[in-house]
Amino acid sequence: MKENLKSFFKKDGVKSVLASLISILVGLIVGAIAVFLVGIFKDTIGVKGAWEGVRIIFAGILSTGRNVVGSLTWGYNAVNLGDMLFRATPLIMAGLSVSVAFKTGLFNIGAPGQYLMGTMTSLAIALSIPSDKVPTWIIWIIAFLAAMVAGALWGAIPGFVKAVFNINEVIACIMTNWIAANLVTWFFDGSVFCNQVEAGKTGYIYKTSYNGVATVKLGLDKVFKGSQVNGGIIIAIVIAVLVYIMMNKTTLGYQLKACGANRHAAKYAGIKDKRNIILSMGIAGALASAGGALYFLSGNTEFFWSTYQSLPATGFNGIPVALLALNNPIGVIFSGIFMAMLSTVGMQLTNLTAYNEYITDVIIGVIVYLSAFALFIRTWISTRKKEAVAKPSEDKEKEIQEEKTNERGNE
Amino acid sequence: MSFLIQQTLLFMVPLMIVALAGVFAERSGVINLALEGIMIFGAFTGVLFVRTVQEIGLFESAYLNGNWGALQLFEILAMLVAGIMGSVFSLLLAFAAVSLKADQTIGGTALNMLAPALVLFLVRIMVNQNTLMMFKGDSAGWFMLKKTTFGFDKDADLGFFGNTFLNKVYLATYICLLIYIILSIILYFTKFGLRLRSCGENPQASASLGINVYKMRYSGVIISGFLAGMGGFVYALTSSNCSANGDVAGFGFLALAVMIFGNWKPLNIAGGALLFGLFKCIAACYSTLDINGDGIFWLKEVGISSNVYRLLPYVITLLVLTFTSKKSRAPKAEGIPYDKGTR
Amino acid sequence: MGSESEYVIEMLHITKEFPGIKANDDITLQLKKGEIHALLGENGAGKSTLMSVLFGLYQPEEGIIKKDGKEVKIDSPNDATALHIGMVHQHFKLIEVFSVLDNIILGAEDTKWGFLSEKAARKKVTELSEKYGLYVDLDAKVEDISVGMQQRTEILKMLYRDNEILIFDEPTAVLTPQEIEELMAIMKNLAKEGKSILFISHKLNEIMEVSDRVTVLRKGKYVATVNTKDTNKQELSNMMVGRPVQLEVKKDEAKPTDVVLSVRNVSVMSHIHKSEAVKDVSFDVRKGEIVCIAGIDGNGQTEFIHALTGLDQVSGGTITIDGHDITKASVKEKGKYMAHIPEDRHKHGLVLDFSLENNMVLQRFQEKEFQHHGFIKFDAIRKYSQELIDKFDVRSGQGPVTITRSMSGGNQQKAIIARELDRNRDLIVAVQPTRGLDVGAIEFVHAQLVKQRDEGKAVLLVSLELDEVLSLSDRILVMYEGRIVGEFDSKKVTAQELGLYMAGAKKDKKEA
Repeated sequence: MKENLKSFFKKDGVKSVLASLISILVGLIVGAIAVFLVGIFKDTIGVKGAWEGVRIIFAGILSTGRNVVGSLTWGYNAVNLGDMLFRATPLIMAGLSVSVAFKTGLFNIGAPGQYLMGTMTSLAIALSIPSDKVPTWIIWIIAFLAAMVAGALWGAIPGFVKAVFNINEVIACIMTNWIAANLVTWFFDGSVFCNQVEAGKTGYIYKTSYNGVATVKLGLDKVFKGSQVNGGIIIAIVIAVLVYIMMNKTTLGYQLKACGANRHAAKYAGIKDKRNIILSMGIAGALASAGGALYFLSGNTEFFWSTYQSLPATGFNGIPVALLALNNPIGVIFSGIFMAMLSTVGMQLTNLTAYNEYITDVIIGVIVYLSAFALFIRTWISTRKKEAVAKPSEDKEKEIQEEKTNERGNE
Repeated sequence: MSFLIQQTLLFMVPLMIVALAGVFAERSGVINLALEGIMIFGAFTGVLFVRTVQEIGLFESAYLNGNWGALQLFEILAMLVAGIMGSVFSLLLAFAAVSLKADQTIGGTALNMLAPALVLFLVRIMVNQNTLMMFKGDSAGWFMLKKTTFGFDKDADLGFFGNTFLNKVYLATYICLLIYIILSIILYFTKFGLRLRSCGENPQASASLGINVYKMRYSGVIISGFLAGMGGFVYALTSSNCSANGDVAGFGFLALAVMIFGNWKPLNIAGGALLFGLFKCIAACYSTLDINGDGIFWLKEVGISSNVYRLLPYVITLLVLTFTSKKSRAPKAEGIPYDKGTR
Repeated sequence: MGSESEYVIEMLHITKEFPGIKANDDITLQLKKGEIHALLGENGAGKSTLMSVLFGLYQPEEGIIKKDGKEVKIDSPNDATALHIGMVHQHFKLIEVFSVLDNIILGAEDTKWGFLSEKAARKKVTELSEKYGLYVDLDAKVEDISVGMQQRTEILKMLYRDNEILIFDEPTAVLTPQEIEELMAIMKNLAKEGKSILFISHKLNEIMEVSDRVTVLRKGKYVATVNTKDTNKQELSNMMVGRPVQLEVKKDEAKPTDVVLSVRNVSVMSHIHKSEAVKDVSFDVRKGEIVCIAGIDGNGQTEFIHALTGLDQVSGGTITIDGHDITKASVKEKGKYMAHIPEDRHKHGLVLDFSLENNMVLQRFQEKEFQHHGFIKFDAIRKYSQELIDKFDVRSGQGPVTITRSMSGGNQQKAIIARELDRNRDLIVAVQPTRGLDVGAIEFVHAQLVKQRDEGKAVLLVSLELDEVLSLSDRILVMYEGRIVGEFDSKKVTAQELGLYMAGAKKDKKEA
């Protein structure tokens, strides 16, 4: 039994999952410590307030507010859970985007820009096709697909410059992020899409429900009464499963992973590495933009169009979602929901305590920071091997000798 | 015209200094994507310092007596604090990248996510809003240099240079320029600078000559943090009225673009900062820009949207990268964690 | 004793072990002051390891080092430099964007209040440069200068630090013939001025021309030290190669038929220098024969194979297979006619993070047998890889699902060989196919290759092991400095003869 346990923990997959769980735990603990320290130093909060803050951090999803005497109550909170699923939808999509890119050896930090392109395209189409002439569900589908195309093209740009000119995709993505932010602002500036009907809302685009377009609820609103949940979460889960199938069951997935794991071997085998890099970034772009589309086609969200100063956090949050899920599409569903849970917990903090939702962003930041180490171990090992093998003469001798030994050791 | 020059300077100088921050880190071999985050943190600590000092009434009498010398000292102290805190924050990156040999782009991204979160969390708790401002007055009132500062009468005409460079400017801008020049000289003409640059090109070669690569890389990142933190505060001081809201509107990323556009060389970076600063300035005030004083708002007539001016720097950088990909001289060993074991 | 030794450096009974292998086995090397001492040996003889020990990069398990008769401990390159020992590595340690002068002074800069003070340095370097005939352009950037000048910069680096003992690791490997002559003159000059030089080489011409004494190593062991003027190339080659091979491959007479591969005037540019790594190479390979390109590593074999298989580009000439011109074809195109067992199994041969079965179909996953409308047929892949595993006795932890990274080097190699041989191509290109394998596995691989040959395939072998070259191949082509310098019938040539050609001592003139 002990032997089985030992070998279980030695497995690579198990070690990675453990690493993820540890980073989550450490993140939560760091958040709790921050809450505690602030509570101690600010008189209005005090230790009691700090303790409440900590409890909400760890179990906030189940909080149901305060009772008459002012202490926190706990239980099933349909609104919380429903909102969590609602928020999880774009996070899952962003996570899928980043994870597909990672599997192909690329860091898609351009998810925010692709998300924005998806937002812009879906909103523009959903609000311009007259709903008295075309059924709203068709409009929805057209808007959704168009968003994916826009995102695919936008993602392909950094993919292209990386494949052909060997420009670092991180820099290219950062540039396209800000180009997108300005492009979207420019597009909406002074357009008919700005909300001119409701007072003081010209900074926002109309909700798509204004044109009758909204994501189907699929009965989820009955299960989670009062929340914003809709069928988008189901769509996201279905897409996640499709991505899983593509990456693991198709020849396309095989090629993308081969390029990501060892570009040299892929080239040796005749796989077109340049084409795969562009394709992978295109797919990643489409996934991120679909996330934007799902969020804004829901019918009850408004887009603040003057976005040239800041990029959507959802796009960046796709990174921890992917890292925690170890780039596994099915895992992304869970880590996406987890991140959404954190976000909901944040709202609880703001509503019920003197703290605010930004502490959850701190927790997320810590998680990403820790993930930087977990990843390094794997990349470090493979680069060491690659370097050892690529170096000629003296190192080769050493390697040959080491291999001769390995041989003897194993046989 | 004076207005155009002043506004451009206000954008350009923090841009230069933060781009130089990027250079110091990358030249030592560490990719520093966290410029945005460090700026945010530096802005916050600088503003917090100003606010706290005001709260305890330290420079109150100076303000009331018009003692400009003391107030400028106050400004410089705030810059120093912001820089030091920027260095402290960047230690997170240094530790992860150099000692733990972690992935530098993810580490930098983590800091970019951590900084605004931390800042907004604290700001909200402190003042119950999303922006931390000065306790009293505004940056123009406390820190701006005006004609009266130098003893001139309020309506005196100081000629073109006087009006442009002495009136309604901040000492911080000039200090940053000075620091920029000094540090650039250090980078290229001192022993420290030579060794730092060697670590970003070929750390194995440097190590074989007895240079401590780890120490050099830590130094590079710490200096980077100082410059970015200070730059963040100067940005807050001059462009957002000495307030911190956990956001610098992508300035840090624009600085990255300037660094790449300038091919990691200080002179080119200054030129790039000028160009990009000009674009940012035009984007902000093009409809009111009367370039040659003849009453015609030429740029407004041309009708290009401010959004175009804002996105041009990024498009230009992308194009420049594409067309000079062969000549682009990023430090050869940047992003590759240095390991004593590999030879 | 205690009196001054005539030797400036003594490495006494040095043994350096790596896990399971003795890279240096009880080697003694003594360097006299002012002499040029060559260190000769084949690949794997232990020359680089020995010099790395002297330079402080490795610590020996046994043995001591003495300088000027006194025992010293060299734990790092810094210690070596402190003892005035310097090394010019085969791959230069230069900062490409810095000027020559900056590279020379880096780590030993003169400063005035922290600022670089170049005047004194410039003067000293110019003096050294003139004294030893080391012409360099002090202000040129290293990336812009010739390889010869880069090497002189490395030498000046050593002299600037008052190094007295200079180690050169295969210095002529990267130089043009003209630059080699210049280097030879420089070395003689240095020795005349009292510097002591150790230089590692496998090139007999140069050793004969410039050295005073030669120490020969073979398979980690010390063979002999001789005065250069008392010996000749033949003798040196004999010592280097040793006695003829014990390993015998059982094979029948080859019966070659039609030409499969036809290489005509092929040249390939080098990626490191601005010259050709492969120069005007022509030969044929027929069905039913094993042709081997022999030579010391670094003479163009790698570049040639990369160009042949599509990993790199041919800069001149043509390559034809089965009548088809594949000079500019893609890797996939070429893959229709040839199987390739690559030199570097980790870089090219396998995706280490993939499972064994996924590696087995690396070139074949898009074939009808293994996919249906883009969806992978896992059963087919499983079955296929299991077949190969059984047929070629590939051992792994969990069979087809084993992650290849965890397999031993030998079994990784067997997996690649299984995959490539099963593709049933007319031409098999095998580069060092038995590297890292134990005796049993080597026999197996040799038997497989012979079997392929007997079934009418053409085999192009590249090997660094003379035993293998002589016993496995039917025809041998020796490659030296990018050219084919000799062609032999394996039954009629001796190891010593091959050694001479491999070391550049002999060259066959090509018929016009």
